[in-house]
Amino acid sequence: MNAAWTEWLKARRSHVPWVTLSAFTVIAFVGALFMFILQDQDRARDLGLLGTKASLVGGDATWPTYFALLAQTTAVGGFIVFGLVLTWIFGREFSQNTVKDLLALPTTRTAIVTAKFAVAAVWCSALSVYVYGLGLVAGAILRLPGWSAAVAAAGLTKLLATALMTILLTTPIALAASAGRGYLPGIGMMITATFLAQIVAALGYGHYFPWSVPALFSGLAGPGRDAPGVIGYASVAVVGLGGVLTTVAWWRNADQASSH
Amino acid sequence: MIETSGLTKHYGDVVAVDRVSLRIEPGEIYALLGLNGAGKTTTIRMLLGMVRPTRGTVSVLGTEVCPGEHAVWSRVGYLVETPAAYPELTVTENLLVAQRLRGRTAPQAVTDVITLLGLTPYADRRAGTLSLGNAQRLGLAKALLHKPDLLILDEPANGLDPAGVAEIRTLLLDLSHEHGVTVLLSSHILTEVARLATRIGVIHNGRLVHELTPHDIATQTRPRLSVTTLDQHTAGVVLRCAGFSPEPDGDSGFRLTDDSAVRHPELVATALVAAGCPPTRLAVEQDDLETCFLRLVGGR
Repeated sequence: MNAAWTEWLKARRSHVPWVTLSAFTVIAFVGALFMFILQDQDRARDLGLLGTKASLVGGDATWPTYFALLAQTTAVGGFIVFGLVLTWIFGREFSQNTVKDLLALPTTRTAIVTAKFAVAAVWCSALSVYVYGLGLVAGAILRLPGWSAAVAAAGLTKLLATALMTILLTTPIALAASAGRGYLPGIGMMITATFLAQIVAALGYGHYFPWSVPALFSGLAGPGRDAPGVIGYASVAVVGLGGVLTTVAWWRNADQASSH
Repeated sequence: MIETSGLTKHYGDVVAVDRVSLRIEPGEIYALLGLNGAGKTTTIRMLLGMVRPTRGTVSVLGTEVCPGEHAVWSRVGYLVETPAAYPELTVTENLLVAQRLRGRTAPQAVTDVITLLGLTPYADRRAGTLSLGNAQRLGLAKALLHKPDLLILDEPANGLDPAGVAEIRTLLLDLSHEHGVTVLLSSHILTEVARLATRIGVIHNGRLVHELTPHDIATQTRPRLSVTTLDQHTAGVVLRCAGFSPEPDGDSGFRLTDDSAVRHPELVATALVAAGCPPTRLAVEQDDLETCFLRLVGGR
């Protein structure tokens, strides 16, 4: 608990929560903007490319579509935002040379790493709930049709499941930021995974590639298309667990000869 | 308190630390002295379990240091290399973080250590805005927060002004003498460690090349009479007959550390002239601590 308290204090005092909150506000806003455009076909035509994009992504302006859109943007944009959170939580200890103060303590390194992951998970989950809440407000303002408690619950479930998978897939970023001793390796891994996820999904093998799974699950390929199977979900779980375990092992065993 | 045996660390072909064996007793202030890159920090990191030795063993407070070990660290305070703190947290918050991770510290420990290190005016200031000297004080405060039995400090005087250096010296002496705290510190400044340490280990190219006491250093820096003659053999016999203790110094010279020779070099000159081997050079010399240090580490 002590390690979690310290991680929570560090997170609260930094600017990063505000940056991530802003990013998720933009996600909700863009979703709402697409719904606003799709509410009126003439408006969509008048807005040219933006209208076309909204039509391609959204389909029709209803609550189910809006919830699906939020889940899809969480799958793609969320991976980048959650990845930044992990990169910051782990990479900062090396970039700011504070890691050496965490290595010879009565609190074990395992506890410290676990606390970092726990704070990241809570933080990212809170962002997901936030974007859902913001979506509810935006959808209500736009008076989207198709509301029901069941639709809202299904939307929340899909969004949280997508967020959970996305969070799991960011855990190797913590290892990259730790082993690479700074922010850049974490960011590099994040960009590589995002890029590969797009390519592999476009080639039709996304349901086997863990980093493509959340987007396919959220329906990015279209309703009922390319749904990931057991292998896809299992690969996400393996990556998530593997990321945590290898990060813990690295912190416990790797030489900390220099912070840079 | 600390015992190492054949401690060695290789990084590829580079030998950072080479078979260092040392034993530090409770209550000692032991200084590791060496040039930059001599292996001091790597040795300290191995003592703290941050770096795994290639060979050899480390024992701290009677416990062998290994990656899974953590109980022993509740009795150890440390500061490694340049001080670091979370810049967005205040001085107090940085210490609260250290306190939480250290566990089992007195509730007022943070306030006490802030006062002890003279950080009261900066207690609510963000650590990122501190001067290097005050950042160093914060680093020391983190090391002292839990009243450790053993302090391991890597270059503790770094960044401090002369008043700060004196203050830290007084503090460490007080901790050692009044509270029985054992201190291992590293430094590349002999003048500083000579005033503080009860023993000094000179480390060079990764090897522990000398172990000295302040008395040994005083001896090394004592004035001496340097004598050069054309006939070294005869001069040696003459000087010994005259009651001096000449030590060879190069091919044609002697070094005399006898008080009488240093105070009255004319007596030496008279004896040599009378024996027919007059000195070609006669000079009273004294190494300063810096020269002594460079000679010890073989740097010059």
